[in-house]
Amino acid sequence: MTDYPPQNSIHPSPFAQSPPAFPREDHSIHEPAMPLETIDDTEHGFDKEKRQSLGWFFWCCVVYFALNVFVALFANHLHLTDPYLTTATNPNLPVNGGPTSANWFGTDELGRDIFSRVLYGARVSLSIGFGAITIGFLIGGTLGVYAAFRRKKIDAVLSVSMYTILAFPAIIFLLAFTAIWKPISLNKIIILLGIASIPAVYRVIRGSTLAAGSREFVMAAKVQGASDFRIIFKEILPNILPTAISFYMIGVATLIILEGALAVLGTSVPPPTPSWGNMINEGISYINSPNTGVGPWLVLFPGLAFCLLLLSINYIGDKLREHFDVTEGKL
Amino acid sequence: MSDPQTPNNQIPEENAGMAARGSNKITFLPPDAPLLRVDNVSTTFHTPRGDVRAVSNISFEVRSNEVVGIVGESGSGKTVLSRTLMGLQPRHGVTVDGSITFAKRYVAERGDAIDGQVPENPLVGFEVARAKESDLRTVWGVEVAMVFQDPMTSLNPVQRVGNQISEGLRVRQGMSKADAKKRAIELLTQVGIPSPEERYRAYPNQLSGGMRQRVMIAIALACNPRLLLADEPTTGLDVTIQAQILNLLEDLQRRYHMSVLLVTHDLGVVATRTDRIVVMYGGRVVECGNTRDVFYGHRMPYTEALLKSTPKISNSSHSRLQTIPGRPPDILNLPPGCSFAPRCSYATEKCHQERPELEATENEGHFFACWNPLPARKTPPATRSDASEIGVDSVRD
Repeated sequence: MTDYPPQNSIHPSPFAQSPPAFPREDHSIHEPAMPLETIDDTEHGFDKEKRQSLGWFFWCCVVYFALNVFVALFANHLHLTDPYLTTATNPNLPVNGGPTSANWFGTDELGRDIFSRVLYGARVSLSIGFGAITIGFLIGGTLGVYAAFRRKKIDAVLSVSMYTILAFPAIIFLLAFTAIWKPISLNKIIILLGIASIPAVYRVIRGSTLAAGSREFVMAAKVQGASDFRIIFKEILPNILPTAISFYMIGVATLIILEGALAVLGTSVPPPTPSWGNMINEGISYINSPNTGVGPWLVLFPGLAFCLLLLSINYIGDKLREHFDVTEGKL
Repeated sequence: MSDPQTPNNQIPEENAGMAARGSNKITFLPPDAPLLRVDNVSTTFHTPRGDVRAVSNISFEVRSNEVVGIVGESGSGKTVLSRTLMGLQPRHGVTVDGSITFAKRYVAERGDAIDGQVPENPLVGFEVARAKESDLRTVWGVEVAMVFQDPMTSLNPVQRVGNQISEGLRVRQGMSKADAKKRAIELLTQVGIPSPEERYRAYPNQLSGGMRQRVMIAIALACNPRLLLADEPTTGLDVTIQAQILNLLEDLQRRYHMSVLLVTHDLGVVATRTDRIVVMYGGRVVECGNTRDVFYGHRMPYTEALLKSTPKISNSSHSRLQTIPGRPPDILNLPPGCSFAPRCSYATEKCHQERPELEATENEGHFFACWNPLPARKTPPATRSDASEIGVDSVRD
């Protein structure tokens, strides 16, 4: 780039040095040239770096969440009862049986082991939650940062279209597309939920990019000659990361619920696949029928699995945001 | 408005705006051209309530190695002016009229030397007011740098301060990571930060306000700018730290042979640290000239009022601080006459009706805009520690 004189050297001034109108008082005479006052004015204590503890409940949530991820990844290595094993292949299986030592969570109307199905269900829920929100962040997040950074026309066009989509209920959109795009599969559900999450992600990311982009340090970086690319990746993105992480976790939770809703309506992943929503959907028809007289385990355990996973994800997301939140107030 | 300054060598008219948007025509400036030439600059904000002219017809110059102070109350347009000078005004909703010419060091690019003729240490005029952002980026940081008002918000809270300093070095000067780190630590030492190796790894929230402003100055100095624009660099700091920061700026100005444009509301700050002062009121220059002329022989009643309202250490205790009655003008509806007239004790009917233009005094480069100026006084010859004589305690430690 530019060719400069060596550091600390006097610029070869091209100007004819016109003497100042009158000599300025020369403070440097009675002050040492180097080093200047090296007064330690760190009032805030440089070494006293303190981080607030996250609390035991946070770690409980992390452990539970990690357990879910572990189960989702390695369910087929855990020597569980085959979740697809029905009375059709083994007539001796108990139908709608209560919890026993062999079937911890009981069995369903086809004699399948609910415990094993709940564990396999984590796989569906987590892959949908994380897969879909990742699609949402890749598209919606990129658009949001771009719109907030460019402003003007592109921002106006994108924002209006995103808010229009946001005004339309996602569940209707999903029901329509699951009805059209047959046969429905796990990948298709992930793509559809990902698309459905784009406007919400766009809105959050655009908002926080706008807020971060108008802070003074971005202008300071700009007058240092930083390129747009640098400003986005070094100045803005690290500052919206807490919001993004938190919204990512909340998004995972929301999309898992949305998938559950779709499954209960019977339009999610096709039935033999163990998904918590599917299990609840199938269980509902048996929970209240007087002639079978079955217990609540058909819906209780998948419901509980839903509940605890969402609680842990939401809590982790919230705590992380609190923990990494670098606000001006804290500085 | 006529150009209040009388430069030795005017920039030829056709050369004035040569780096204008879209044109890459290079014209060399005379060797004694001023570093920054602000000519009749106005900044207008287009708001729903009407056009607001925050800065009107400002002209002044900054020569090399010169410290120029811009003084004015809150709302006098100082910050708008400094942002305009940096080319930081947004492109939409704001109009910048006039020309801001920066004498840029000439760097040969894509064989653009004129007829193969390149004078020694050449300068080219760079028109800030109409430059594209990509062109401004060639000037920002390396030619002109800025120190912001609030050191609490002008550092990126999630990056280590060392990275923030060395980033400019690596990007703009193509230094290696190790070299940039070495230079950044050197800069931290120069701005008076103790144990710079440790502080290199610190986050901004681990530093106090004074330390952060020092870091900001180190960042601004990283690429050896020739003009440093300091927009109220000490406003957010307490008085002892203010003095340290100002002494630091002065020392660095001498060492780096920079020009400094010091924007402030505090006359004590500019009293002994500037060569020239521009006094602004209501977005206009009301008086400008050499520091001594402005302090000793001010003609504009506003300058007098500002000087009188500065607290002095020689005042007896519990004496009442003089204030300027009234409030700064509403720039949405400026009065037709002199904008200071409503608050001025010398105001006559003419002051309310007609706006005074800048007129020259017998002192070279000293101008004022007033219908009823204070009587001319002869500026006494320079002595040591004038500041107490003229009745202003400069910020000293």
